[in-house]
Amino acid sequence: MNDPTGEKGYPLLFFSINTKWKIGALLTFLVLAISAGFYVWYSQHSSDAAPDSIAGYSYAILGTASLLLAGTLYSIRRRSHKKRALGKLNTALHWHIFFAIIGLVLIFMHSFGNLNPRTGTYALYGLIALVISGLVGRTLDHLIPRLIAGEVQQALTARGEDRIETISQKVQALVAHNTEALSSQPIAVNFADFSSRKQQVMQHRPQTSLEYEEDERPLHTPWDLAYISLEATPQELSRLMPDKHRPLTPSAALMPGAQQHLVELHKVQRAMQREHFYRYIIRYWRLLHIALALLTLGLITWHLIYAAQLLLH
Amino acid sequence: MLKFLEKLHISSPVLLHKPGDQVAQELHACIGCNECLLACPALAEPITIDVLNRETLAGPISAPVARFARACYQCGACIAPCPVGLHRDAMMMWLKVRLLRSSSVGAVPGAYPLEE
Repeated sequence: MNDPTGEKGYPLLFFSINTKWKIGALLTFLVLAISAGFYVWYSQHSSDAAPDSIAGYSYAILGTASLLLAGTLYSIRRRSHKKRALGKLNTALHWHIFFAIIGLVLIFMHSFGNLNPRTGTYALYGLIALVISGLVGRTLDHLIPRLIAGEVQQALTARGEDRIETISQKVQALVAHNTEALSSQPIAVNFADFSSRKQQVMQHRPQTSLEYEEDERPLHTPWDLAYISLEATPQELSRLMPDKHRPLTPSAALMPGAQQHLVELHKVQRAMQREHFYRYIIRYWRLLHIALALLTLGLITWHLIYAAQLLLH
Repeated sequence: MLKFLEKLHISSPVLLHKPGDQVAQELHACIGCNECLLACPALAEPITIDVLNRETLAGPISAPVARFARACYQCGACIAPCPVGLHRDAMMMWLKVRLLRSSSVGAVPGAYPLEE
């Protein structure tokens, strides 16, 4: 029965078991059970329990086939332009995980416990690292978006507006209010008034040898001649903030509430930095997984060439 | 650490979240072609795009949409197929934040809508 108030909550550790997951888990368990059962039976009833025995080759072929399917099916499905149904890509991802785990177990059984420093052992280590990176990546994909959501929550107001913008507007209003209190003249809080006052100052500047455009704006105005008023502007926050290095700063320049806003601004900036960092973790863990896959592919190819040479000679 | 990762980035830099007004704008611009959902590897059960858009904007969040929102791992696979250039991942992040805030003490379920 649906809750009329809707679903609530986003716990850090959530787990939803759907039919796909159940089928995948059952299939994995079944294949592992059959493989393990055969492994135990073969080890007890045969004197040739080695990677190059019949059972060893069978495990190797099945394991390699499984790994090939793991490596290609999902990538092909993802890049295919063929119309697919909703949820099929998720199914393909589950198959990818299933084949990868099965492949690792079958290759491990293929070794029959022989972990001498040979090409096969290096390939197996690469495979173990690859599968572990995949499982860790799935865990990160589970946890990190939740952490990102926590940081985004801090960066947005209750109404979903950008908190940095809201704080900046409040601080600007504070500066305007306090500057107005310091000087009796009202100050411009928008850029239109700012530029008109700038033009007034420019008109009273002494003539220089600079070239002027038709509307009397100099072509190359040095930055220090752009604005020479001594009045405090909304942008000059530092002149109005309490400065520890200038004990002679008048107390009237202290802006009540500004420090709290700046602390809050700093918190929001830190939250956004963390969000940035978490997103990079997701991206670069994926790259690591792909890099390990390529490395493992190289090691397996090396092992196959080595094994083929042993067979042929 | 973040600066080190930024220097390493090979492809485009990661995009951060979008505020509510931008998410609302993108939701209204959505043409409902379903390409984003077809490209999503996290979507396990069929959800219609209009239900997803409606529940992202406002109102209570149904169980399938909530499960999808929690499962979304912000891979960005939904961005490239969008013919309008929208950011479904940012909309999903908005849904995540709504779910997160709905679990706060005293929070009103279905609160923080983008539209009244």
